[in-house]
Amino acid sequence: MKQRKKRLTVIFTLLVAVALVISACGGGGNNNGGGSGGGSNGGSSSDGGGSPSPSSGNDGGGSSDLPPYELSLYYPGTPQKDEKVVEEAINKILKEKINATLDIVPIEWGAWDDRMNLMIASREKADIIFTAQWNGHAVNVGKGAFLELGDLLQKHGQGILETLDPAFLEGAKINGKNYGVPTNKELAAAGGIVYDKTIAEELGLDMSSVKTPQDLTPILEKVKQGRPDVVPVWSNGGLFNSHFFANYDFLGDGTIPGAILKDMDDTTVKPVEELDRYKEYLALAREWYQKGYINKDAATTQQSSNDIWQARGTFMTVEPMKPGKAEEIASAASRSGELEQIIMTSKTVATSETAGSMLAISSTSEDPERAMMFINLLHTDKELNNLLNFGIEGVHYTRNGEIISPTDKTADYSPGSAWMFGNQFLNYVWDSEDPEKWNKFREFNQNAHVSPGLGFVFNSDPVKSEVGALANVIEQYQRALETGSVDPDKVLPEYLNALRAAGLDKVVQEKQRQFDEFLASK
Amino acid sequence: MANHAAEAIASATDVPEVKTRKPSFLGTVRKYWIFYLMMLPALVILFFNNYLPMFGILIAFKKVNYQIGIWDSPWVGFKNFEYLFLTKDAWIITRNTLAYNALFIVLNLVFPLAFAILLNELRSKFMAKLHQSIMFLPYILSYVVISYLVYGFISPEHGYLNKTLFPLLGIEEINWYFEQKVWPWILPIINTWKNMGYYAVIYLAAIVGLDDELYEAATIDGANKWQQMTRITVPLLTPIITIMTLLQIGRIFNADFGLFYLVTRDSGVLFPVTNVIDTYVYRTFLTVGDVGMSSAAGLLQSVVGFVLVYFSNWVVRRINSENALF
Amino acid sequence: MEAAVNAKPKAKLSGANPKNILPAWAQWSVNIVFILYSLLCIIPIVLLVMVSFSSEDVVMREGYKFIPSVFDTSAYDFLFEDFRQVARSYGITVSVTVIGTVLSMVMVAMYAYPISRRDFPHARFFTFIVFFTMLFGGGLVPWYLVYVQLLHLKDTLWVLIMPLLIPAFWVLVTRTFFATSVPSAVLESARIDGAGEVRIFFQIVMPLSLPVLATVALFQTITYWNDWFLSLVYITKNENVSIQYLMYKTMQNVQYLAQNSQAMQALQQAGAYVRFPAETMRMAMAVVGIGPIVLAYPFFQKYFIKGLTVGAVKG
Repeated sequence: MKQRKKRLTVIFTLLVAVALVISACGGGGNNNGGGSGGGSNGGSSSDGGGSPSPSSGNDGGGSSDLPPYELSLYYPGTPQKDEKVVEEAINKILKEKINATLDIVPIEWGAWDDRMNLMIASREKADIIFTAQWNGHAVNVGKGAFLELGDLLQKHGQGILETLDPAFLEGAKINGKNYGVPTNKELAAAGGIVYDKTIAEELGLDMSSVKTPQDLTPILEKVKQGRPDVVPVWSNGGLFNSHFFANYDFLGDGTIPGAILKDMDDTTVKPVEELDRYKEYLALAREWYQKGYINKDAATTQQSSNDIWQARGTFMTVEPMKPGKAEEIASAASRSGELEQIIMTSKTVATSETAGSMLAISSTSEDPERAMMFINLLHTDKELNNLLNFGIEGVHYTRNGEIISPTDKTADYSPGSAWMFGNQFLNYVWDSEDPEKWNKFREFNQNAHVSPGLGFVFNSDPVKSEVGALANVIEQYQRALETGSVDPDKVLPEYLNALRAAGLDKVVQEKQRQFDEFLASK
Repeated sequence: MANHAAEAIASATDVPEVKTRKPSFLGTVRKYWIFYLMMLPALVILFFNNYLPMFGILIAFKKVNYQIGIWDSPWVGFKNFEYLFLTKDAWIITRNTLAYNALFIVLNLVFPLAFAILLNELRSKFMAKLHQSIMFLPYILSYVVISYLVYGFISPEHGYLNKTLFPLLGIEEINWYFEQKVWPWILPIINTWKNMGYYAVIYLAAIVGLDDELYEAATIDGANKWQQMTRITVPLLTPIITIMTLLQIGRIFNADFGLFYLVTRDSGVLFPVTNVIDTYVYRTFLTVGDVGMSSAAGLLQSVVGFVLVYFSNWVVRRINSENALF
Repeated sequence: MEAAVNAKPKAKLSGANPKNILPAWAQWSVNIVFILYSLLCIIPIVLLVMVSFSSEDVVMREGYKFIPSVFDTSAYDFLFEDFRQVARSYGITVSVTVIGTVLSMVMVAMYAYPISRRDFPHARFFTFIVFFTMLFGGGLVPWYLVYVQLLHLKDTLWVLIMPLLIPAFWVLVTRTFFATSVPSAVLESARIDGAGEVRIFFQIVMPLSLPVLATVALFQTITYWNDWFLSLVYITKNENVSIQYLMYKTMQNVQYLAQNSQAMQALQQAGAYVRFPAETMRMAMAVVGIGPIVLAYPFFQKYFIKGLTVGAVKG
């Protein structure tokens, strides 16, 4: 017995010793590229003094005085067949402008969170990483994954500062600092519905009279009678209580309770479940569900509305709105021209939009300045931007002015990630889309109501135990309630009680406290 | 060469003990050196794959910042454990996890054992082989696929039961993913169905390995099949049954995530009967993204499992030390 | 040591004694029970295959059916679209499975034997060492750090093999088999005959333990074949992923977005092209993933059963 204890102690000591070595490796700054990516570190595996200069020398022969450098760009998405070809074309431009080459590294959505977590944890070398407020941006900043960009933006990001609406950078801040460069795209958001024009015409429905969700009830009744083969409303959760429709601003992560209304100016943080607006929409959803307007599996389905549109399975869905939304969905579902949209709420600007898509520079980057130069180019260089998003002209698309048409090679390179990279206003427009798309976007961005919470992101760390417990309560009740699948009169009070028991008030108070601090500092 | 090295290493680490042991440690090593050599490859793998990463247990007590490294991240005591006990969910997930797993242990013993015994009695070896192969199929399927299959049967919109079978029988449609009372039946059935082949093969291998002479002797004594089963087969299988049960008790606080999360489609209405520790922790992780908190849960599960196994093993050893795990 | 085996009286096949079998009616009822249960196992899989041969529209309209009203192979188009990748991934999976299973079986047996010997004073300690790994682990991140930063095995074939080599569960089960089904009298007489431990292990213990070795091999084959997580974590060069990951990554994407409503909404808002693969395609992917191993199973089982009967021949 005694010996065993002793032996265990020996083993444990050994373990701790090795653990020390490993964790030192893990935290040890930018040594060790982990075997992936560029071949820049020539066999140097020990902790150097931390000087990040790659050893390959300056015989690159580029036109600038910068040493050659390979940038890696990580983003969630499906790898494309012609990635190599496009990379070569991009490198031609990049070599000339900033003497760099680009390694595009798309990672499947299903693996993205795991892989990012591991990359950050193992301090693997990376340069540019996609991030977003809804994709754990604040958490990763807290882990020290991304560089603070203030100086870099001033130094190498002039093009970004010139073209990007200041509201974007303002609205993407964490504790007053920027850790990501937002994509220049639609700034405002609104909610509304997309409906099937062909069914509306067939049944002679008057859609112009629809102003509020309640106005839809008689129309849906007619759809149910006239077209029993389709579901009048298809939903996979949220419905009118989605934050984009009901204009809830959750001040950061949308799964942490406590919100303000972004179409109002009140700065009191409240649980949305107590708002009249929430209850009203719940009642409507319940009414519809009981009348059979909503798909029965709304609370558990694993399909997307795009699937349903393609299968011609529904009359309408509730969607976040922007100009051309209906056509965007229609062309994705190969039903161009058959869908129509109605915007039903006022336009707002909140952090969920401004920080909804960003490019960050990893704290393991060996040349952050070059990374910023590249992001700057994505925001200003039309050729580069379109190359990354659509591939090579004449191969992956054909162009006529600003309008592009697909070819039979389009499928070999269509990452569909234009909203992640730089400046969307530089993008060409597909021939199925509205040629005036970008002008309409600009117009749409005007005169939106700015949420009082713009630029504030809640730091959940002080109450993370409560947030963790609340996440389960929300999962338990929210989707079923908001799709009308259960009776709100009975379940809503139960839901609120469960939220309270899990620490709702503490979280809301903490949110209010941080928010007040933010407002005071403005 | 290598033998000597292994010997040297093995003895070097334990030099201080030499004096305290009756059959001297060095003596043991000298006598059984070949055993150490045989175990060496596996030990190396275990060291790198399992023991080295165990420094990660520390994460449960830390607020991790990777930039400064795991080791230097600040300690937070038991704060990462708090969320597990914060609400009345704590009771529900504990109850569900333990109750389902206890039930699974029983079901995974009784049915596969019975099937294995019966399979062994089949005279047609062809049929035995065929049944065994087919029984094994569900085990190959992952829970992702099983969740689709289950959905294929009970989907409220397109499911085979609601769309084809029930109208035929004149039964009213059931919204399965909203019916709490059916899931305590569905989950054990699926679990047993999936694992039947797995456990049956283990028990069958054990039965086939039994000595035939015992049965011959029993037949001569006039024992019938039932008596043979209860007096010979089951007693002789006690060691393997004990081990299987002990091993499962070790994992009694770890729920099968695929079964409880994917197959139920994470339907909130069902939580009172489907929420288990692993799903609870996963949902928390999705929102909070804190590895410290999930490590804490993992550690708690391990410790509870460990204590339970240690206790059960102690009981087993009291009864029959031959059957004990360690 | 040949003598050791032969010393035991006449070997006999199980069930060979005509007096000791179930009567015909009992045989039949047992058979019927098994046939019913087999149907229960096979029907869902038939549904899976049938749905994979249906067209998506029909499934949406008519629900899941055992006999599709229209036979449609379009869900399998992806197989031919990227045939080289599919073939390559199969190749990787097969190599990993074969190498992994063989190595694993040998290493498990070599570890399980010493700890099954009651006269080995450290047996309990080494049993505990392996058992402990069943319960305690360090979590994903430290595990990843060891493989990537210490062993530098990222993007290698070895990293798909090594983590699954020593399944604690099977080590312990094998140990129990060794302890119970290898009579210590046999070992004793072999030792008296002057056989060394190595000879005893390879020439007596291993042949007597074929049933359990076959069982370990079978389950390790399935473990290696079904693994997709190692590819997800350690393989960054896309063309080197296993077939399971190649098939499951699409389902993983569905899973991720379906469970993560926030990400889903953000994507829809951004106008990202979010389309889940059709249900029929998901089923087709499942079929492609499990198909070969199911087809290989009868071959495997031939040896497996042979192993069982060889085991039964012992006297």
